[in-house]
Amino acid sequence: MLSALLRIGWKKLWTLFFVSVISFAVIHLAPGQPSQIDPLNPRFTPEQLERYRKAFDLDLPYHVQYVRFYRKLFTGELRAFKDSQPVLPKIVERFWNSFPLFLVGTVLIWCYAFPLGIASAIRRNSLFDKVTTVIVFALISVPGFYLAYLLIIFVVQTFHVDVIGLRTFGREGVAAPLRLMDRTWHLVLPSVLGATAGIAVLSRYVRSQMLEVINSDYVRTARAKGLGEDTVLYKHALRNALLPFVTMLGLLVPALIGGSVIIETIFAWPGIGRLGYEAVLSRDYPIVISLNFIAAVLTLLGTLLSDVLYMVADPRIRLEAE
Amino acid sequence: MRVKQILILAPTLVSLFLLQSYFWVPTFEEQVKGDPGRLTRYIQTSIGDASILNPTLAADSASSDINSLVFEGLIDRNRDLAFRGRLAESWEIFEEAYMVVDETQELSDGTPVTGDTLLRHLERAQAARDPALRLVQKIELLPGQSKIEQIEVAIPRQESGKPKKRMVEVTVHLPPRLKFTLSEVDQDFFVKLNSLLRGYGDRIDPSRFIEGAEPVITRERAAALVPPTEHNPIVLFRLRKGVLFQDGHEFDSGDVKFTYQAIMAPENLSPRVPDFEPVKAVEPLGRYTVKIIYKRLFEPGFGSWGMGILPEHLLNRERLKAEAIRLGRDPKTYSIRDSAFNRAPIGTGPFRFAEWKTDQFIRLRRFRDYWEGSPNLREYLYRIIPDMLTAELTFYAGTSDAYGAQPHQVERLKHDPRFQNFSRLGLGYTYIGYNMRRPIFQDVRVRKALGMAINVQEIIDYVLYGQAERTTGPYPKQTEFYNPAVKPLPYDPEGALRLLAEAGWTRNAEGWLEKDGKPLAFTLLTNLGNEVRKAVMVVAQNAWRRLGIKVETLIMEWAVFINERVDKGDFDALILGWSMGLDADLYQIFHSSQMGHFQLNFVGYSNPEADALMIRIRQEYNRARQVEMARRLHQIVAQDQPYTFLFVGKGLTLLDRKLVRMIRDPDGTPQYLPIVADKLGRINFHFNQWVKTSEPVLAAY
Repeated sequence: MLSALLRIGWKKLWTLFFVSVISFAVIHLAPGQPSQIDPLNPRFTPEQLERYRKAFDLDLPYHVQYVRFYRKLFTGELRAFKDSQPVLPKIVERFWNSFPLFLVGTVLIWCYAFPLGIASAIRRNSLFDKVTTVIVFALISVPGFYLAYLLIIFVVQTFHVDVIGLRTFGREGVAAPLRLMDRTWHLVLPSVLGATAGIAVLSRYVRSQMLEVINSDYVRTARAKGLGEDTVLYKHALRNALLPFVTMLGLLVPALIGGSVIIETIFAWPGIGRLGYEAVLSRDYPIVISLNFIAAVLTLLGTLLSDVLYMVADPRIRLEAE
Repeated sequence: MRVKQILILAPTLVSLFLLQSYFWVPTFEEQVKGDPGRLTRYIQTSIGDASILNPTLAADSASSDINSLVFEGLIDRNRDLAFRGRLAESWEIFEEAYMVVDETQELSDGTPVTGDTLLRHLERAQAARDPALRLVQKIELLPGQSKIEQIEVAIPRQESGKPKKRMVEVTVHLPPRLKFTLSEVDQDFFVKLNSLLRGYGDRIDPSRFIEGAEPVITRERAAALVPPTEHNPIVLFRLRKGVLFQDGHEFDSGDVKFTYQAIMAPENLSPRVPDFEPVKAVEPLGRYTVKIIYKRLFEPGFGSWGMGILPEHLLNRERLKAEAIRLGRDPKTYSIRDSAFNRAPIGTGPFRFAEWKTDQFIRLRRFRDYWEGSPNLREYLYRIIPDMLTAELTFYAGTSDAYGAQPHQVERLKHDPRFQNFSRLGLGYTYIGYNMRRPIFQDVRVRKALGMAINVQEIIDYVLYGQAERTTGPYPKQTEFYNPAVKPLPYDPEGALRLLAEAGWTRNAEGWLEKDGKPLAFTLLTNLGNEVRKAVMVVAQNAWRRLGIKVETLIMEWAVFINERVDKGDFDALILGWSMGLDADLYQIFHSSQMGHFQLNFVGYSNPEADALMIRIRQEYNRARQVEMARRLHQIVAQDQPYTFLFVGKGLTLLDRKLVRMIRDPDGTPQYLPIVADKLGRINFHFNQWVKTSEPVLAAY
């Protein structure tokens, strides 16, 4: 087991290396330059542009830049072009801003997708199933920003409360429980919006998994044994239907750093998605590449985690080595 | 069944928990009415966050918004856009000019030139009231000196054509010079002096004063090391006494010099270097006077002293070194750009910095010891809301006082009695530029015809909802430089066809215009992401096709558009816009020397008279003469039509009607006045007098 893990880890390290090269190359190959050295700034002479390039290490050959870049990243010396602030603390700060959104969104997705999917699988082709199908597809197709505007306008005009930002603006010095509830309220709309598409998609998966299992032999056997319908469905069927979703837990890990540009922009949420988006627009290489790299690390960790979870959850699956 | 219960209970509980939080949140009414502090707090929303709160390093508009409140420059502009003193109480502008004593020459009476003979000759002329020396107040003789300098020279090589660059050491024998102090700047001083001295200045050969190992120094290089004649415009600022930085330290001339040095220090990478490059030296003369010496005639440089002044005592070498050591960074490479000052600045402006939450808000508090009196508003909040619609919602709900409204949003709220609005005309214009390196665009009749084919009024009415004005030339319409006598091109497709026929373009059997069997065909470019330019593109293409011109259009991503097309001159025609400053300098955009790599005259405009005017305009310190030349330049450019000048955008600023100005009579009774906009439509000119009243105090105006 341990040696297998080590071998997998070694492979992942190689993947990580290639990802680091590619994410570095992609940003440098993309057209455009950091806005600080935008040649259309008419005030700059070539000498001054050269000075900027030098300060940003952009005058060096690519392989030297690559080595310097990752060395600075690992030693924490990397600074953003935009404001000369260290990159890692910036990312960490934004991560904690986005984290509650991610957490509540995920909880909502998993809480709603399973009951919905199971219910429509059990009542297949019933009115309930058809209605949820229509709603679910509508939610998948409606653009998030449109839904966001509709919701914001509705809530603001009906309830007259602030929904934008991390907390009600200009409300300082209130008691801790009030602050907590204020923050919770500000989480509601963006996380519901972030969750809608997730609920829609995941509940479809659950439904089809459940259908597949319900029609399998062992479920028929369980029924034949005379077990109650609830026991058959929730004990025998559901357990097996859940198996593939275990892997999904692992895939959630990289979503930690994704953030949602649209939701965060509309709700003035100072999250990680906006950080990345604005960095791409101004070609702030240190931030873009660091985010890319961290996302790659998390993705690899996530797949590793799903592998392990799968092994734990399903004794039939074993590593080739054993 | 437990699983079933969990499946139903979990979403219900989560939803209930989330939704109950609503009851703990204040409504907008409670926020606005229930919070007495709200009346003394001004909230401005912005779509972007500031990046660096240091006026010498910032280049984005959000940072400037904050910096302009925390910092203050020596001068700024009053409501009519003329300069007024801020940290400087007053100033005078005069000139010091230098001329080399060339001992190989003779004076007109045959005496050989020495410093003394030349000086006496000129003093006699001055006593005889020679007009060339009318402005001269003092003539002094400065001794010569020698120095050794390292210079880079290009040495041509026979084998490969590429010259090799190398450093050589030369000895510069700076000859004695005459120093003239003039009461005002006169760009023609040496021209007049030269005719008084019968061409003396033209005969000076500067290479004579350079002695080096390699005789590869051109006359231009030599003239750069030892200029035969030199204009040094001088600005003498008299500083306001007793002005305090927000930490209580007094502002003085050392801070001005320090700010200049901070900008010019290479390690700080200041984007403002080009503004201050023409400055030769900043010399404090005592605590409250500072003398700015310029290297050459450059009138637009004066406006740069609106730059916010940094506190020397917080950013000098020792402080930076201490900061670097505290943070464990290398003190040698630690520069102002790295300093924590840029996230917690201290200046002399009316508001002092309090708090900055990145991408959320910046909080400023009034500076009670501000030299012009404390602002009325206690707090200024700059809230970042990146989305336009949500920004409007917060404005509408009363939780913000101002936001950058879009034209269609203004339309919605303009007639709401709760708001007041202010019209403003932009400083930028949109144009169609023609690449004059292309044969078809070399004929002015073609360029003019293309302009006449476009109905600009239609674009203004239907694309811009009337939120624009026509413009006929390169200057902002609010400035005196704009020539109101220049008439816009008429919309006249028939006339355009006649002009094209004169230029040799006639319709063929299929209706397309052609000349010598070649069709009139070209591609019109613009950049992605600007809807107005895209619409203008469609209108222009349609208008031109109706004349019989084959026009293709292409929209490109900004970086590719600039790097691959504009910079390389690889385009036929393009739609772009310029955002102009308030000075009269057009050198970079229209001078024929500015057509190179990454330069801004990418359309390749060249007109000798315009070239000469552009140079004279930037060297002219007399406002009336400058205005006269600028108006002539406007006329020439309009005649040549290197661009089809289209329109200047207009905008409206919305503000809560409860915001007014409040000043106190000598006996202390408050007096309320309406907020007024300046010539640029900026409303915050009297910002320090603003107050918010609980109910509107002024009738609608």
